[in-house]
Amino acid sequence: MMYDKDTGMFDRILSMFATVQDEGHGSVLLVFLIGVVFGSIIQYTKVHKFEKIAGFSMLKDTVVPKMLFLAIGLASIGLYFMIEAGWASYHLKPIMLGGLIIGGAIFGIAMAIFGKCPGTGPISVAEGRIDIMVGAIGGILGGLVFTLYYDQFKMIMGPNFGKLSLTQYFEGHESLTVLIFGLVLIAISIAIPLIEETDDEDPGYQK
Amino acid sequence: MLKKIPWWLGGILMALLLLFTFSVLGANRPIGASTYVPYFAGIIFDLDPEKYTYLKEIHNPGSWEGVMLLGVLVGAFLNAVFVTKTFGFTVVPAAWKKYKNNSAVSRLLWSFIGGFFLIIGARLAGGCTSGHFLSGMTQTAFSSMIFGAVVMATLIITGKLFYKERK
Repeated sequence: MMYDKDTGMFDRILSMFATVQDEGHGSVLLVFLIGVVFGSIIQYTKVHKFEKIAGFSMLKDTVVPKMLFLAIGLASIGLYFMIEAGWASYHLKPIMLGGLIIGGAIFGIAMAIFGKCPGTGPISVAEGRIDIMVGAIGGILGGLVFTLYYDQFKMIMGPNFGKLSLTQYFEGHESLTVLIFGLVLIAISIAIPLIEETDDEDPGYQK
Repeated sequence: MLKKIPWWLGGILMALLLLFTFSVLGANRPIGASTYVPYFAGIIFDLDPEKYTYLKEIHNPGSWEGVMLLGVLVGAFLNAVFVTKTFGFTVVPAAWKKYKNNSAVSRLLWSFIGGFFLIIGARLAGGCTSGHFLSGMTQTAFSSMIFGAVVMATLIITGKLFYKERK
C-alpha cells in the first residue's frame, strides 16, 4: 500500500518534468536555470529576508519597492519593443475584480505578518529558516483548501472585466504610453529614499 | 566572495531575467511563483487531477513553476552554504524580536497562519509578487495594477497595526 503511494508520487514528479519538456516553454534544464538565477538575484539583494519585507510593511526598509519598481519600469519598456519585434507576446491575466481585491487584501496582510511572498519563501527555506518551513506547510494546506473548495472560492472571484492593459487602453499611442509608464516607475524607484533595516545575527548580512 | 549586490543591480538583473523568460529564446511565458503551491499540494495529498477542476487548470503552469522552484531551492541552498554563508537553522527573525516579541511559539504560529492565507490570497487573485507585480505590471496589465495597489495598501496598514518598536 505504502509502496503504491510512493510510486504514485514519484510518477507524478516524473510527469511534471515530462509536461515541461513537452510544453514548449523552455527545456527542463532552462526552466531550472531560470529558477536558479531568479532565486540568486533575490538572495544576493536580500529582498527575501523578513527584515526587508516586514520591514517595508513598517516603512523601515525600502529596498523591496525600489528594486521592484526599477525592474518593472525597465522590463515594461523592453518587453513592449520585444513584442513589437515579434520576439515575445502578451500573457495578460484577466481583471477578476473580486479575486483581485479580496485576494490582494488577504495577500498583503499575510505578506506583512509572514514577511515572505511565495517566490521568496523557498529561498529562506533553503537557508534553514524553520519559521518559514512551518509557513510553507501552512501554504501547502492553503493550496489544498483552495483546490478542494475551488467552486466556492470561484463565486467571489468575479466579475471578469477581461484582459486589458494600459497600452491597449491608449490604442494608437502604445509606444508613448509604455515609455511614460516605464520612466515614471523608474523615477519612483529612484525617488524612494533608501532606508535599510539590518539583521545583525545574519553572518552574510553586510551592508 | 561576493555576498551582496545593491538594489539597482538586482533590479536591472531581474528586468533582464524577465525579458529573457518572456522571449521566444527563453520560455515565451511570464515568471510566476505561486501556482506551484497548490500543484505540489495535489501531489502530496495524492489528489486525482481528473477529479479536481483546479488541478486540471493548473497542470501546465504548475509543472513549469514546479521545475523553476526546484532551481530556486537548489540554487539558494548552494549559495547559502558556499557563497553567502547564510545557511543556519533559526526560528525567530531579528526584526520580529525587535518589533514583535521573542517567542518562538508566537513566530511559528503566525508563520503558519501567514503562509496559509498568503496562498489563499495569491490563488484568489490569480498571482503573487512574481506573477502580478513583476510579470503582470511589465505588460502594463490593469489586473496587476489593481492587485499591486491593494497589496501595497494592506501591507502597510498591517505593518503599522501589527508591529511596534519594543522598548
